[in-house]
Amino acid sequence: MSRVFISSASALPVSEYWTKSLADLMTDVASKAIDAANGVKIDKIIVGNMMSGYANHQEHLGALLASSLGMRGVEAMKVEAACGSGGAAVHEGYLSVKSGEYENVLVVGVEKMKDMDTPKTTKALAMAESSDFTQAVGASFISLNALLMRLYMNSYNVEEELMDYFPVIAHKNAVTSPHAQYRKAVTVEDVKRSQVIADPIRLLSSAPSGDGAAAVVLSAKEGPVEILSSEIATNDLIVAQREEPLRFLATEFAFKRAMQKSGINVQDIDFMEVHDAFPVVASLALEAMGISKRGKAPQDAADGRFNMGSELPILTFGGLKARGHPVGATGAYQIAEAFMQLAGTAGQNQVKGAKLGLTHNVGGVDTTAVIHVLRRVE
Amino acid sequence: MNVIPIAYWRNRKVYTRMIGTKCKDCGAEFFPPVRVCKKCGSRNLEEKEMPKNGSLLAYTKLSEPAQEFKEYAPIYLGLIRLDNGVNVISMIADADEEKLKAGARVQATVRKWTEDGKGGLVYYGYKFRVLQ
Repeated sequence: MSRVFISSASALPVSEYWTKSLADLMTDVASKAIDAANGVKIDKIIVGNMMSGYANHQEHLGALLASSLGMRGVEAMKVEAACGSGGAAVHEGYLSVKSGEYENVLVVGVEKMKDMDTPKTTKALAMAESSDFTQAVGASFISLNALLMRLYMNSYNVEEELMDYFPVIAHKNAVTSPHAQYRKAVTVEDVKRSQVIADPIRLLSSAPSGDGAAAVVLSAKEGPVEILSSEIATNDLIVAQREEPLRFLATEFAFKRAMQKSGINVQDIDFMEVHDAFPVVASLALEAMGISKRGKAPQDAADGRFNMGSELPILTFGGLKARGHPVGATGAYQIAEAFMQLAGTAGQNQVKGAKLGLTHNVGGVDTTAVIHVLRRVE
Repeated sequence: MNVIPIAYWRNRKVYTRMIGTKCKDCGAEFFPPVRVCKKCGSRNLEEKEMPKNGSLLAYTKLSEPAQEFKEYAPIYLGLIRLDNGVNVISMIADADEEKLKAGARVQATVRKWTEDGKGGLVYYGYKFRVLQ
């Protein structure tokens, strides 16, 4: 089996691309990544995307991109795992290279959400959960997270204000992040004053929707970054059917396997890109990985444990909250960001001396968890 | 058309009578129905009507629901523990925020869920209301 390296990475600023199509976004970002990999010959294309059929009336994204890139003959397909689609696509690319069957694989994560109005976006996101039994009763994706946040706050006696430190960290890091959607710092006061969307979740404690695309070229040939492990695990689709709703079992399983397979110690990880769709998701993920004690992640965030320059920086380019969350592209953005950190090209957002990084991408409410461990090639 | 009529028809027992499943091997109960027991892995399951009383664990007021519910905004959703220990997420009928406290006793009732456009089908199903 081959080792798997990342030759290059590219990420478009998350934005509202009124003048560009889904194919334009994918083609732009893929061209940049291929150029940065010195124009290597691509053997396979994998596209991570969640909602193009519903949002853009377009499926068959593998062929769409291959065709747009003029790569007649190349193998291509789409991978879907809700908001974890980008991470899942990288996972499939990883396996392709590792198998020895492919030399260079292009992975693109893309989502174009701004073609939809808000109620349609809400419907599209709700498709991560059960159509028959969750969407039918009016429960949107954000409302499931709101119920979880309320349960978290009640169970661990955590004040809402403490949860607000996650968006504060994300926005602070986004100020100097070239591809972030909202390059503006916010305070706990700002979050507290922002509009309630699904009580207790507010506008500023909720990842925004946006258009975006990120790409990586994976290769069997040594490059600046190596993927040490790539793991996916699942949890009950219907959140109400979980015996312990405050345990992120998919994250627990994927993390455990990723640690075993990469053979590293948790303490050696220099930074983490955590799936901070909402503060409660970031909290439960950090607790599932044993980084924080149960019920203590918000306090750890407030204490500065996750700031740049501290022991474990997270959301180094703004995370989902401030870099933006074009859902099916997010996992690919995280990998591109980890590449920049480990290749030493993160500019003002550089984690000094970063050697090991971890990305955590989720589909649904920890329904699918995708974890990658990456290392700098010395 | 935002609701799939045939899917609603298929699930009508679940929506109006809260029919879930019980494992004939280990006795675990589930709602909504499951095909394989999540406790013991058995496929030997039977229909089981859920109790209609329970306690509220948490609630949220949703100001921007999905398109088929937008004309009813804001809607209230609750995470409810039924008296058999099964958790359910449901809309809350006649919501009064003063009474929506964790631990409040609630009961299932059948109410209108949504209407599929002007002159379209009307969909009914369970909602929970706080008992006085």
